[in-house]
Amino acid sequence: MELLIKNGYVYDPINKIDGEKMDIAVKDGKIVESVSSSAKVIDATNMLVMPGGVDIHSHIAGSKVNSGRILRPEDHYKDVKPRTAITRAEVGHTVPSTYTIGYRYARLGYTTVIEAASPPLKTRHTHEELNDIPLIDKSCYLVLDNNWIVLDYLSQGEINKCAAFIAWILKALKGYAIKIVNPGGVELWGWGKNVESLDDQVPPFDITPREIIRGLCKVNKILNLPHTIHVHTNNLGKPGNYRTTIETMDAVGDLANGRPNIHITHVQFCGYAGYSWITLRSGAPEIAKYVNNHPHVTIDLGQIVFGEATTMTGDGPFQYILHNLTGNKWKNADVEAEGSAGIVPYKYRRKNMVNAIQWSIGLELALLIKDPWRLFLTTDHPNAGPFTEYPRVIAWLMSTKAREKTMEKINKRAKKRGVLASIDREYTFYEIAIITRAATAKALNLENKGHLGVGADADISIYNINPMEIDPSKEYKKVRRALKRAAYTIKGGEIIVKDGEIVKSFIGETFWVKPTMSKDLEREVLKEVSEKFKEYYTVSLENYVIGESELASSKPITVKTNF
Amino acid sequence: MGEVTLKPKVIFKVPIIAETITPDNFARKSIEEIAKLEVWEGNRKVTLGELFEIAGTPGETPTDTKIIIEGDVRKVRRIGYKMTDGQILIKGPVGMYLGEKMEGGKIIVEGDADSWVGTGMKGGQIEIKGNAGDYIGAPYRGDTKGMKKGTIIIHGNAGNEIGCWMRGGTIIVKGNVGAFPGIHMKKGTILVEGDCAGRCGAMMKGGKIAVLGHIPSILPRFTFDEIKKSFKLKKEKIKGPFYLFTGDLNENGAGKLYVSIEKNKHLQFYEKYLE
Amino acid sequence: MRTISNVVCPFCGSLCDDIEVDVEDNRIVKVRRGCAISVTKFTKYNEERIYKPRINGKEVSLEEAIDEAVKILANAKYPALYGWSSTSTEAINIGVEIAELIGGVMDNTASVCHGPTIIGEQDAGISTCTLGQVKNRADLIIYWGCNPVHAHPRHMARYSAASKGRFIKGRKERKVIVVDVRKTHTAKTADIFIQVKPNSDYELLTALRWAVKNGELEQEEISGIPAEKIEELADMLISCRFGALFFGLGLTMSAGKARNIEAAVALVRELNNYTKFVMMPMRGHFNVTGANEVMAWATGFPFAVDFSRGYPFYNPGDTTFVDVLTRGDCDAALIVASDPVSGFPAEAIRNLAKIPVITLDHHETLTTTISKVVIPTTVVGIETEGSAYRMDAVPLRLKKLVEPPPGIPSDEEVLKMILKKLKERVK
Repeated sequence: MELLIKNGYVYDPINKIDGEKMDIAVKDGKIVESVSSSAKVIDATNMLVMPGGVDIHSHIAGSKVNSGRILRPEDHYKDVKPRTAITRAEVGHTVPSTYTIGYRYARLGYTTVIEAASPPLKTRHTHEELNDIPLIDKSCYLVLDNNWIVLDYLSQGEINKCAAFIAWILKALKGYAIKIVNPGGVELWGWGKNVESLDDQVPPFDITPREIIRGLCKVNKILNLPHTIHVHTNNLGKPGNYRTTIETMDAVGDLANGRPNIHITHVQFCGYAGYSWITLRSGAPEIAKYVNNHPHVTIDLGQIVFGEATTMTGDGPFQYILHNLTGNKWKNADVEAEGSAGIVPYKYRRKNMVNAIQWSIGLELALLIKDPWRLFLTTDHPNAGPFTEYPRVIAWLMSTKAREKTMEKINKRAKKRGVLASIDREYTFYEIAIITRAATAKALNLENKGHLGVGADADISIYNINPMEIDPSKEYKKVRRALKRAAYTIKGGEIIVKDGEIVKSFIGETFWVKPTMSKDLEREVLKEVSEKFKEYYTVSLENYVIGESELASSKPITVKTNF
Repeated sequence: MGEVTLKPKVIFKVPIIAETITPDNFARKSIEEIAKLEVWEGNRKVTLGELFEIAGTPGETPTDTKIIIEGDVRKVRRIGYKMTDGQILIKGPVGMYLGEKMEGGKIIVEGDADSWVGTGMKGGQIEIKGNAGDYIGAPYRGDTKGMKKGTIIIHGNAGNEIGCWMRGGTIIVKGNVGAFPGIHMKKGTILVEGDCAGRCGAMMKGGKIAVLGHIPSILPRFTFDEIKKSFKLKKEKIKGPFYLFTGDLNENGAGKLYVSIEKNKHLQFYEKYLE
Repeated sequence: MRTISNVVCPFCGSLCDDIEVDVEDNRIVKVRRGCAISVTKFTKYNEERIYKPRINGKEVSLEEAIDEAVKILANAKYPALYGWSSTSTEAINIGVEIAELIGGVMDNTASVCHGPTIIGEQDAGISTCTLGQVKNRADLIIYWGCNPVHAHPRHMARYSAASKGRFIKGRKERKVIVVDVRKTHTAKTADIFIQVKPNSDYELLTALRWAVKNGELEQEEISGIPAEKIEELADMLISCRFGALFFGLGLTMSAGKARNIEAAVALVRELNNYTKFVMMPMRGHFNVTGANEVMAWATGFPFAVDFSRGYPFYNPGDTTFVDVLTRGDCDAALIVASDPVSGFPAEAIRNLAKIPVITLDHHETLTTTISKVVIPTTVVGIETEGSAYRMDAVPLRLKKLVEPPPGIPSDEEVLKMILKKLKERVK
């Protein structure tokens, strides 16, 4: 199958293409130099062409997401779309069904999405849901920082064995990277407690959050994994926590060697200054300063969008705090020997001072951090808002007018608690392409994603907007509308969206890593692990492992480790 | 007042979803146009004309449009959906979700109603001459915002959880009610003239409930306040005397529960808490 | 002869995965570690077996039976699809697609079992965990309205009262409380037995919550329990290190139902202000949790889903199968791996008998006797592999241990065939 996308204005930052008028040729699912005259032609004249979006952090599949669905029938019943000959019925607003997730991402022009937090024991569930999300390519991070076997090894100083265990578990459960969520805090939540600083003890393990983060950072280096450790910090959601965030970033500064070695996720939730909700201020300037001066850090935003959200994280104690603050219904689900999850519905209100400051913080981070290659656009879907609102966030980034318009409607006191009003930076389309595709694909080391060079997967999004004529600063509403419904989305060379409608549906690929390891080391570690399993778990080691055939479309990536 | 009469011309077996039967949808339309309005018969879309014999002339506005339904419509749901004014008179039993999200106007049923009468109601009046089911005025599953305004009167008996998550308006049941009337109530008034199966006012935070008949017990976290001579309902004073309880204390609630002293002699032991 | 280990037992929600099975000549000849119910399932599943598809009692080919099923389902104006809890997640997933295609109403057995738990959760949330968390940490266990000694025989030894974990080494290090209307066998093993008056669990739960908050109880006795005893119990609950409340039909099916669960959720939530506390429903069938999970991820709702208008609509009381049947709303039914006739109220069964019913099952049941079309299928977890979810939503993979009788397909295969033919008829 051949495609020729003609005359579009192409933004392909990985290949340094900045709004160049050029053709893109596609053959058999890949970008090629040229195609024959029998190729199907898409006329992209006066349209904006980008690689398909790559979302590095979203909660789209697994037991936590599904718990959110079950908890919130009231979220679904107003947001429905009957089935068609091509699409399954769609349902849900902040916690939509699997089919809805795939279609909605495709309509936005996104083609790769990663589930941000999968508890190992329930990762089979994550894969069963990923199997049912149409169109996008996907993967999942495994939550490993409160895992008893990991904590045993780290507290005993057994870094190599820890690395071997993690290599095995990524392979066995088909995961992509090491996810860290409130290290130490979630283990203490097993007793209803939490940590408050990086140097608190986590009994009975004789380890601190700092040591967990450093240990896993070293493990990541040994395993040479394509993505860095992906960290949800301690003290999330607590006024004054920006200090913890900077401390966390700094905790592994000495372990870096020129490349990023830590990713802090949804930094908006970790960027609070002040010491109480009443004195809450933005901590974004301090964080931005640190990030600007330390190239070993990448971050994603977790930008607030006003309206309904469903908070869901692996940070059990934080979710309990949020329940107590709001009185909203609360689901908690601990996972034996591994972690926790909590879900609380939430609504972000313009007139609420705290919400208005939160809104401001995310945007300040994006506008104050200078290097777009280390900053990624997310709403930590659905924690800060549904991913369908990405175009709204993009409009705020590209237009001071859009920000001012919103600032007129938000709580008045919030304005003085941040610096947003004083910033007049406006993102360009090139920079937007970086923070939504190029940088995320690079941070994940997905060689064939996030760009349109020859050899890349033919994942392409075309928007009905002329970047040469439009002034995003003034016409931000047009930008928002155009990005919400792609003129075309192409996945693996197939046209899946036309004028915002799904025209074809199929299942994408689930990719995962296979770190290389000596058979002897694996055998040694597995012997110890299977002993621990009998005591710690209620399932057998054999049944814990997920077979490759359980993935609808499996794409393993061999990773050469540094053992 | 313009009047349109609907008579079922088939026996309904599968559920009929008739959101289109409202004065708002009928006003200013010809009979042919009304007959073309769509309803669901199970999984198929059919027209009103296929299911009902339709006669009469509607008014120019919803306000002067009256719909009369003659027959057994217990399988027909969502009649009166989001209506803003006008009247509906149903001469027979009627199905679920009657008057859903109603904002104004009046619905009268000369028969029994099913469950979820007045769900999401924001105004208007519903009167059921017969019995009604459960969840009167209750919101959708998982939602915490119930009936906001309006009046619902049940002449017969009603089921469980009437006035669930209520935040305004009035519900009057002349017969008996099941369990959990006023559960999660925030505001509004419920009057039960008959007996209550129990668990009255569970989880309530505000509002007031009066039970004129028998109630087996009061929930443990309602505290006995005093004896009241009467219970105020809109402008009327309903004669007691009543035991007045406040609760639900587990929810830091300040709801008021009036219970008839005469019909509930077994609650006399509470009087020892009178100072 | 071969031995298969780490077999997952396909009977109850405990989903024990340490069973060992000896297979010889395609027969299971020995079962190790399984409870009595498990052994019965593994060795007696061939009793009352159906070997050939039937239409109106007459034996037909598989293709004829499927064609008839397709005809019935495609022509129905409000078909119901029910059961699902004793088959694989994969099969249930196909069921959802069929229900959506034909605009029917799909429900699973949760609606007569722990549906109230889900409904209660939808109003109030829940604090729960996986079973290993209880095994490792819980020093106080409550069994409320459930009888694991009989219904989940290995639960206490593997996961709860008598289990051995990292921090708690066995029964001696735990306090066990049983709350029930009569002294069951489980109650006999408890340290404390609370005999609650039938149908008054709601009052006891709320009184306990009030006592935990340090409130004084104005009544002398609540639900048959003296106030001081309730206050004593509240103290015990507050001073444990990690408490776990397991509950069953005694709460979900006695007066109050979903509100009983809501009251329990509120109590457990309150306890989390003082200590760590969780609760967990004792799910009955081995994959009812899986049915809830797959229905929820595919439709947003865990059971009772109506697709008649082309999109999912959920409302227990309206879209639950028992209620749909009692009102006589559905005009055809597909029953998979379930026997509603043996448990449903009379009016519902009368209405079921009036409509064409298609049943997929491996053995004769009361439901197969009133079915127009009967299609025999394999036994999941013995003859067919598949995915299933434990009562705490941990997903496991059921194994294939022996070959099924020749010519008998799995639920998944039959449903796929039905779906394929339906797609040719229904756009």
